Amino acid sequence: MNEQTNKNLGRRQFLSRATKAGISIAAAGTLSYRLYDATGPKTGVDAESLVALQNFSVPYKAGHTMSIVTGADRVKTVRKAIELLGGIERFVKPGETVAIKPNVAFASPPILGATTWPELVAEVVRLCYSPGGAKKVYVADNPINDPASCFTLSGIAKAARIVGAKVVLPRARSFKHITLAGAKLIKNWPIFYEPLENVDKLIGIAPIKDHHRAGASMTMKNWYGFLGGRRNIFHQDINTIIAELAMMVRPTLVILDGTEVMMTNGPTGGSVSDLKRTNTLIASCDQVAADSYGCTLLDLKPSDLPYLAKAEKAGAGTTDYESLKPIIATVS
Amino acid sequence: MSSKPGRANRLESAVSICLLAVLFLIALGMLIKQSCTDMSRFGIEAATMPEFEIPLDLGSLVPAGFEILSKTETYDSENLYEKINGKAAFYLDSGFKKLFTQRFANKDDSNLWMELFVYDMDNIANAFSVYSTQKRPDVEMLSFAYPRFHYKTGNSLYFVHGQYYVEVVGSSESTKLLSAMVDIAQKISSALAADADTRTLEVKMALFPKENIVPGSIRLYLESAFAFEGLTDTFAADYRCGDQTVTAFLSKRANAKEARMIAESYYQFLIDNGGVEKTIPLAGKYPGKMIDIDGATEIILAIGPFVAGIHEAESYECAIEVASLLSSKLVDESTAVIK
Repeated sequence: MNEQTNKNLGRRQFLSRATKAGISIAAAGTLSYRLYDATGPKTGVDAESLVALQNFSVPYKAGHTMSIVTGADRVKTVRKAIELLGGIERFVKPGETVAIKPNVAFASPPILGATTWPELVAEVVRLCYSPGGAKKVYVADNPINDPASCFTLSGIAKAARIVGAKVVLPRARSFKHITLAGAKLIKNWPIFYEPLENVDKLIGIAPIKDHHRAGASMTMKNWYGFLGGRRNIFHQDINTIIAELAMMVRPTLVILDGTEVMMTNGPTGGSVSDLKRTNTLIASCDQVAADSYGCTLLDLKPSDLPYLAKAEKAGAGTTDYESLKPIIATVS
Repeated sequence: MSSKPGRANRLESAVSICLLAVLFLIALGMLIKQSCTDMSRFGIEAATMPEFEIPLDLGSLVPAGFEILSKTETYDSENLYEKINGKAAFYLDSGFKKLFTQRFANKDDSNLWMELFVYDMDNIANAFSVYSTQKRPDVEMLSFAYPRFHYKTGNSLYFVHGQYYVEVVGSSESTKLLSAMVDIAQKISSALAADADTRTLEVKMALFPKENIVPGSIRLYLESAFAFEGLTDTFAADYRCGDQTVTAFLSKRANAKEARMIAESYYQFLIDNGGVEKTIPLAGKYPGKMIDIDGATEIILAIGPFVAGIHEAESYECAIEVASLLSSKLVDESTAVIK
C-alpha cells in the first residue's frame, strides 16, 4: 500500500508538474510564434527602400545629337565623334564624376568582339580626364561570367586602370532595388547601383553584335549589365526588357563601336571569322537613334528589331536617326 | 527501483534525454538548411556551380608548354546562361545536358590563352546539329582523321566527338595555340570512345549523293528546318552546279505514309506563303512537286520513308539536276530498305 502511495502522484505534485509543463509549452509556443516568418525570404524590398536612377542626359543641342565617323582606328574615331558633338567638355564638366559602362559580359579575349574594345574604353576615360574635366571616372559592369575574370581576360580592367579609372566590380552590397514607372518587367528588381549612386554622368560603350535572342546587342542591350538577380528570365521577353532598360537609363552619351561587327553566332561569338570590319563608330545622345543606325551594319533594318519601336514609343529616342541630321566624318 | 516522490525515474530521464536530443537535431538541421538558402532565387547572388561527374579530367588535357589558367567550370540547364547568356536557348533547344569549361595559358606568354568548352549534348545527333548549324563559312579542315567532324578558324577549333560538341577558343591567331588545340582534340578523341556513334551518323549522311557535294556542308536541323515545323531531324547539304550552290535536304521518317504526309504539309506551307506550283516533271519518274517562291525554286520529294528536296535554288535547272541525283540515290536506298 505504501509503495503504491509512493508511485502515485499527490495532488500537490500533480499541480506542480502540470504548471511546469504548461509554462514550458507556453514558452516554446511564444518563442516559435516570435521566430515564425510567415512570408519567407523577401524577393524584393519595401516600396520606401526602392531607388530611382537620375537622368544623366545633357541639354539638347540642335544638330549635335549624333555623329558617325568612319575609320579603322578606334582611338581616332571616338575622339572625332565626340569632338563633332561639341567636345568632351559638353558632356563632362570640371570636377564631375563619371561612370562608364562598357560591355564586359564575357571572360573572352578582345579579338572575339564579344566585349568592348579595351583601348576604346581607355580613350574615353582619357577624354573624361582632359584638363578641366572629370574628378573621378569609374568603369563598371555586372558581367554574365565571373566579374573579375571578365574584366581581366577582356583586357578592360588593365586598360582602364592604366589611365586612372577605378574599376567597380559587383558585390552583394552594390545592388539596390528599383521599380520603373509603368514597367512590365522592371519592378522591384535589383540593379548594380553602386557605380551610379554618386556620379554626375554616365557613358555607355558597346560593340555591335548579333544576338541569338534579341537579334542585335548594341547600346540599349548593354544596360542589361546593370541588372542583378536571375535576369535570364527576361530573355523570354527580350524586346520589352531592352525597351524598359532604355527607359530606365537616360545616359549622357552612348558610343557604339562598329569598327568590327559580330555578324553571326552572337552574343558570344568565338571565332574571328564571326566578325566583319565595317570601320564605323557612332556617338549619340539618343541611344535609340544610335542602335537604329548600328543595326544597319548588321544588315538589319530598325524594323527588324522590335525593341527599337517599343523604346521609341516609350519616348526613349527616335528610330528615324536621319531626322537628327547626324554629323558624318572620316578619319584616316 | 523506486524513486523519490517528485523525481523522475531512470526510464523517464532516458526518454526525456532522447526527446531533447531529437529536438536538438531538428533545430540543428533547420539551422544548416537555412544557412544554405539559394539567395540567387531572391537577390543578386549567382547560382552555385553544379557539381557532377565530368567525363574526363579537363586539367589532364593541358598541352605541352601550357598550364591551367583557371579551375574547371561546370554548367547545367539551370545556369548555362551565366556562361553564354543569350545563346543558351540555342543549346537548350538542342538537347543540352551539361557544359564543362577549362582555360589554359601558355607558360611563356600569358597573353596566349585558350578556353575549352565541352558541351554534353546527350547524343551525337544533337552534338552534330549544334556543330553544323553554327559552322562558319570558308573554314579549314585539318589533316587528322579523328575527331571526324571538325574545322578550324583563325583562332579556334571546333569538333564533334560522340555526344560532345567541343569548342577551343583562342585569345589570338597563333600557331602555338592551334598546335595546342589539336593536341587537346586528339587527347579527347583518345580518351572517350565514340566510333559507333560516328559510324551511325556517317551512314545517315551517306544518303546524300557524293557527286558535286560541297565537302563539309552537311548540317542537321533538329527542328523546323527552313522555318517549317514539320521538318524535324532534317539533313541538308550544298551542291555545286556551275557557279551556283544548291541546297538539298532529306529526312527519314517512320514510314512512307508519314513521309508523304509531311511532304504534302510542306508543300501546303510553301503555297500558303506565296509559292506557285510549277509543272515541270522530275525526269518523269519520281513523286515530287516543284514550287516557285519569290523567284527561288523549291522541290519536294516523297520517296519511300524519305522526305527530300531542294531548297531555295536560284535556277530551276540546277534544282532539277540535284533533285534527280538525290531521288535516284533515295530510290536505291528505299528499295534496299524494302528488300
